[in-house]
Amino acid sequence: MSDMGFTVNGKQDVHMPPARMHLADYLRETLHLTGTHIGCEHGVCGACTLLVDGEPVRSCIMFATACEGRDIRSIEGLETDKVTIALRAAFTSAHALQCGYCTPGMLVTARDIILRLPDADDARIRLELAGNLCRCTGYEGIVRAIRVVLDAKLDIAPPQRRMVPVALPAAAVTPLSPGFPGGQAPIESLEKPKSSKLAAKKGSGLVQHLRITAPRDVLWQAMQDPVLVASCIPGAAITSRDGDRITGEMAVALGPIEGKFIGFAVITYGDFAGTISGEGQDRISKTRLSAQADFTVRPVSTIESLLELNIQYSLRGALAQFARGAVVQAFADEISSIVAQNLQAKLTGGQPIMAAPRLSAMRLFWAVLWRRFINRRK
Amino acid sequence: MKPAPFTWSAAPTLDAACGTMRAGGRAIAGGQSLGPMLNLRIAQPDRLVSIARISALCGVSETADDVTIGACVTHAQIEDGQAPDIGQDILPRVAANIAYRAVRNRGTIGGSLCHADPAADWVTVLLALGAQALTHAPSGSRIIALDGFFTGAFRTNLTPGEVLHAIRIPRLTPDARFGYYKICRKPGEFAHAMAAVFISKNIARVVIGALGTIPLVLMGAEATPDGVEPAFRSRTTMLDEVTQHMQLTAVKRAFARAAA
Amino acid sequence: MPCWNNDNIYKELMIQVQADLVREKSGVGASVLRKEDDRYMRGQGEFIADIKRPAMQELAFVRSPVAHAFIRGVKKPAGYEDRVFIAADLVGVSPITAISALPGFKRSSQPILATDKICHVGEPIAVCVAQTRAEAEDIAALVELDLEELPAIVDMRAALQPGSLLVHEPWGDNVFLETSVDHGFAAAASGAPIIISKHLRTARQCMSPMEGRGVVAMWEPRLEQLVLHTSTQMPHIVRSGLSECLGLPEDMVRIIAPDVGGGFGYKGILLGEEVCAGYLARHLGHPVRWIEDRREQLTGNANCREHDYELTAYADHDGMLLALDARAIVDAGAYSLYPFSACLEAAQIASILPGPYRMNGYRCITWSAATNKPGILPYRGVARAGVCYAMEVIMDAIAQETGLPPEEVRLRNLVLPSMMPFDNITNKHFDSGDYPEALRRALNAIDMPAWRARQAAATGTVKIGIGLAVFCEQGAHGTSVYAGWGIPMVPGFEQASARLTADGGLELRVGIQSHGQGLETTLAQVAHESLGLPIERIKITHGDTGLTPYSTGTWGSRCMVMAGGAVATACQDLAARIAPIGAHLLQVATDDVTVAHGYVSTGSRHVSIAEVARTWYRRPQDLPDGIAHGGLEVTAGYKAKRDSGTFSYAAHAAVVSVDTETGDIALLDYAICEDGGTLVNPMIVDGQLIGGIAQGIGTALYEAMRFDDNGQPSASTLADYTLPGATEMPRLRIEHMATPSPYTVFGQKGIGEGGAIGPPAAIANAVNDALRPLGVELSALPITPHMVMSALLRARRDTA
Repeated sequence: MSDMGFTVNGKQDVHMPPARMHLADYLRETLHLTGTHIGCEHGVCGACTLLVDGEPVRSCIMFATACEGRDIRSIEGLETDKVTIALRAAFTSAHALQCGYCTPGMLVTARDIILRLPDADDARIRLELAGNLCRCTGYEGIVRAIRVVLDAKLDIAPPQRRMVPVALPAAAVTPLSPGFPGGQAPIESLEKPKSSKLAAKKGSGLVQHLRITAPRDVLWQAMQDPVLVASCIPGAAITSRDGDRITGEMAVALGPIEGKFIGFAVITYGDFAGTISGEGQDRISKTRLSAQADFTVRPVSTIESLLELNIQYSLRGALAQFARGAVVQAFADEISSIVAQNLQAKLTGGQPIMAAPRLSAMRLFWAVLWRRFINRRK
Repeated sequence: MKPAPFTWSAAPTLDAACGTMRAGGRAIAGGQSLGPMLNLRIAQPDRLVSIARISALCGVSETADDVTIGACVTHAQIEDGQAPDIGQDILPRVAANIAYRAVRNRGTIGGSLCHADPAADWVTVLLALGAQALTHAPSGSRIIALDGFFTGAFRTNLTPGEVLHAIRIPRLTPDARFGYYKICRKPGEFAHAMAAVFISKNIARVVIGALGTIPLVLMGAEATPDGVEPAFRSRTTMLDEVTQHMQLTAVKRAFARAAA
Repeated sequence: MPCWNNDNIYKELMIQVQADLVREKSGVGASVLRKEDDRYMRGQGEFIADIKRPAMQELAFVRSPVAHAFIRGVKKPAGYEDRVFIAADLVGVSPITAISALPGFKRSSQPILATDKICHVGEPIAVCVAQTRAEAEDIAALVELDLEELPAIVDMRAALQPGSLLVHEPWGDNVFLETSVDHGFAAAASGAPIIISKHLRTARQCMSPMEGRGVVAMWEPRLEQLVLHTSTQMPHIVRSGLSECLGLPEDMVRIIAPDVGGGFGYKGILLGEEVCAGYLARHLGHPVRWIEDRREQLTGNANCREHDYELTAYADHDGMLLALDARAIVDAGAYSLYPFSACLEAAQIASILPGPYRMNGYRCITWSAATNKPGILPYRGVARAGVCYAMEVIMDAIAQETGLPPEEVRLRNLVLPSMMPFDNITNKHFDSGDYPEALRRALNAIDMPAWRARQAAATGTVKIGIGLAVFCEQGAHGTSVYAGWGIPMVPGFEQASARLTADGGLELRVGIQSHGQGLETTLAQVAHESLGLPIERIKITHGDTGLTPYSTGTWGSRCMVMAGGAVATACQDLAARIAPIGAHLLQVATDDVTVAHGYVSTGSRHVSIAEVARTWYRRPQDLPDGIAHGGLEVTAGYKAKRDSGTFSYAAHAAVVSVDTETGDIALLDYAICEDGGTLVNPMIVDGQLIGGIAQGIGTALYEAMRFDDNGQPSASTLADYTLPGATEMPRLRIEHMATPSPYTVFGQKGIGEGGAIGPPAAIANAVNDALRPLGVELSALPITPHMVMSALLRARRDTA
């Protein structure tokens, strides 16, 4: 990072921003260029839009460190830009701004439309503006302002594009048969919130009926061995046990979302039935998880039995606060299914899921996965 | 809403990237999906390795049969026709409808596939087109048919230290038809339902995405206008009827577009 | 390539766009271009996050991940004890208590940092101080919370059930306030041949200005004063509240609002974060800054607009509404927020539900329910967006029952121009206007018969529907309205200061705060109208308690009426100071001169106001003793002739298409006819209207902050909480009527909120109009594709 450098509004900059500092913060806090506004810090609102190598980008999700060698231009650097000058006149005339907070990002996007899409109609202008939110104007004035500048047909050179090299440098590619060969790689990160429980959190329900090829007594015996059950949970480990109470942890990964849930579970047993309940917290996101699994072991035949699982779980905290909870929930369901298969494997001396062919595992998931989408969009 | 601390390095070459990733680094290309997760601190990697400037990932090539697009080619480059198309302007049109231009300027096709968001356009579309993932690792490279690449929402079967090098997409044969339809209320929104249909002399493939987990791929007799519904319903018996209906509508409209 | 001179481009474009606007003058009624635009377009606005001070440190709050819990302990991370502050560290700080004097109101006490109990997700528990926000968040992540979780009270109807768990145990129930009014209900309803009942819901929303809130606080030893910059709509109210919470006299607190990036009600509040920052700045010896991020805003800070209505309407076969019976619940969240309190919304519902319609009987019971959610604030179109939706659904229902066209039912029930001014059934005093004409013009604008024909002809999966909404909008409420509610803030005389500078410029100081409304321009127009000074020489200072006279701030569509009135009054008073000086310079009697158009005049002789100023400031020797000893600076107070508020009104007509296979709704046409009285700046009024409509479309179709059974908010990003974008806006047709208010200076009426009021009703009615033949009627907002499809599939199953 020591040779870090880029140009900002035409001037060479040689600061060394911390790796985690995004470009918007760097401009605002280090260079005191506060014309770039921060509206959401997740790339949706467009307030922080500025130019990197002439192209509009979200400066709130681009790290300053990633800009090495690049040409950065913020609203302050467009003071004498011909298109921006025209847009400013049009914006004020068309009443295209009110509070002014979205305006710098809006001007950068508008400039891109003028340069890139000289023939845009109003519908196209609106489509191109979809990534810049304005809460004040209702967009009417903004669209009108861009229309006026487009119609003025300014004599300006089209933007230069970064061209894609036409030859993909060769790499030694060894063809394998389509599909991923079974048994080679572990299914990564098939871990997630631990099913343990506290009390009356209202949660999402999941019912699973799993046929296990084992006599009822064998299955029942296995269910009474918490260490064995825990070993079926990917990423889980028991750290201590005190009677019915088990303390443990579970590593979780859902793509880049990683967590480590630490918590406890209490297991109570009845007559071929029991309850595991517990609670944990992710050390990283601080998300809390509560779960209760009621299970019943029923005979199907002399060699087969049925494990009925009725799982209630709830998440509280950062990971619960997305409208796309379906993904998190689908994932939790998947875990349950893996547990069942591992249990089967343990009981029958087969391979645990970690080494099982992925596709067959996925097929088993279908039965339970779908239910989760009921809660998607009410 | 600032990221937790991490270290950053820019990998100059594919092998360097593989090495850093093998040592626990997480790859970042355009960062348009990872960036928000970092800011929200729901992803807290210790070490990021930027692969965006590895020239081996930024090119394109083509043969008579297929088009190969480097993993770090951006959506905007594809939208602008800077990558060769497979026919019928499919790739530029799909690219143009991903998120917003400012995001497309940074976001990459490979990043999108590796992120494996179940509602992502490329995931569903490229599955339907029968694309392959070309991966690179010091131990060897692999070609993985895309329907074996995704293992779940946000998960792929890339091994630690393995990098997605490029995506190879077969060209459309003259008899091939393709249709894609997504239901969302506004541009850039996560789709409520999406389906892609690919039909040629030998192949019929329907891919249904935005399900919360990896898309459902239907083939052969199940991938016909009459075959989809029973096949889809039988695999989604616990899905609520509204979602089922919307997904089937997306499929119908994708078929209609393929026929158009 | 021709080299365009920059100025040329500028001028040419100005000419093109301005052609349709009135530019000949710059006083009241002219579409003057905004004085504030230039700085914003150059990135030179100064918003709260742009403010830095030497040695300033950043704050990050530790917020509750759960909705309802007892706090058993908060553990500061080792090594950071002096950087983490919890409730016990804020010595002498009082909680925020926003009371109402309405009988039966139960107080909530909103701690600055939670003490023993958590009442909603996002409630601040501790605050961390560090060099950067990122480091402050690092520390916050290390703070350990020991919470004993409790079941959350999430749904307002469940919260009102006997035996419900309690948000505030000492209350014994979950009711901030229950109100009840009955105006001749039983007699009017008796014997009505048509009785219609509806149950309607509106969603909880996040107001979502593009800029969040934020505070920069510093202690000024020289002045012995806490100077607190904050992104607020009401600096003077924040000062009063802050002073009470910190135990500092008001003269030791100065509040400055910099450029504010949108408000819409979200910044009409005293924040715990402001109190916290104020305390820390004073006690840590260095400035501190807190900038709200979007996640904090969405998951933990104030919401708005969650209503539940049970309505029964009594009508006759002529479509006349005879009586209305209503039960309304507002989900007010956990705490009564300062200054508007938890009960303003419900109290407003009770008083404005009848809308622009006549009726002989009305009964309404309201409840402000407490739940484990953030408190609520009055969002643009406070309560009115909900009541308009409720009333307009009723109007359509009467049309259905009687077989009359929906527009006819409305025309029959609207207050008529001949009745104006009109005191309605809840004693609202409608000042002026022609409500039926507004509806007729809106119908004309969309060409109703043509759309009806297209609707009838529509085959296939896409259906067409037309929906209407008519409402009147009380704005600029005065003392008499707010005194009854007894909340911490009652508007009295609105003040403005006017000072002539030595070179003939005019400085105006007002206590309101402009955050997008263009008040730096429109108030200058008002002053120009009075004194005729060039608008470029009129400077407005606002949003600073140290510089401006007291005001309750910017809310309730009041600024153009109240601050506009105050500026006009101050300018008149200033003119009275100018006149004797000018008369002396002209050597005539004061009674013989007039002050206008920038001059003091007598007959054909003039002396400029600038010359008057120069004389008073620079050449006092030219004036005899005893002339204008008060100088050329005045502060004037203003109240409207009648302070019960102005009543602008509008009719909205929406045309939608509904895709019956995806539930997708498209807005095909949209017309508004609005009467805001005299428009001070028509361009800005249209901007307010269109911006409001975008927000109303959000309410109708997109925006909902939902909570799960544990009180967890379902959205923490703008990808989850969907705001309307440019593609979601329909073609708009705007018509104006201009019936001056008889009670205000220029006849102007409050009009800032109207745009947001009509769309939910008009769009919901249009969707139902499209779907009714398919057996579907929706009764909740926002109308999502999922909701539409769910109802359609149910209807198909039922008919199958």
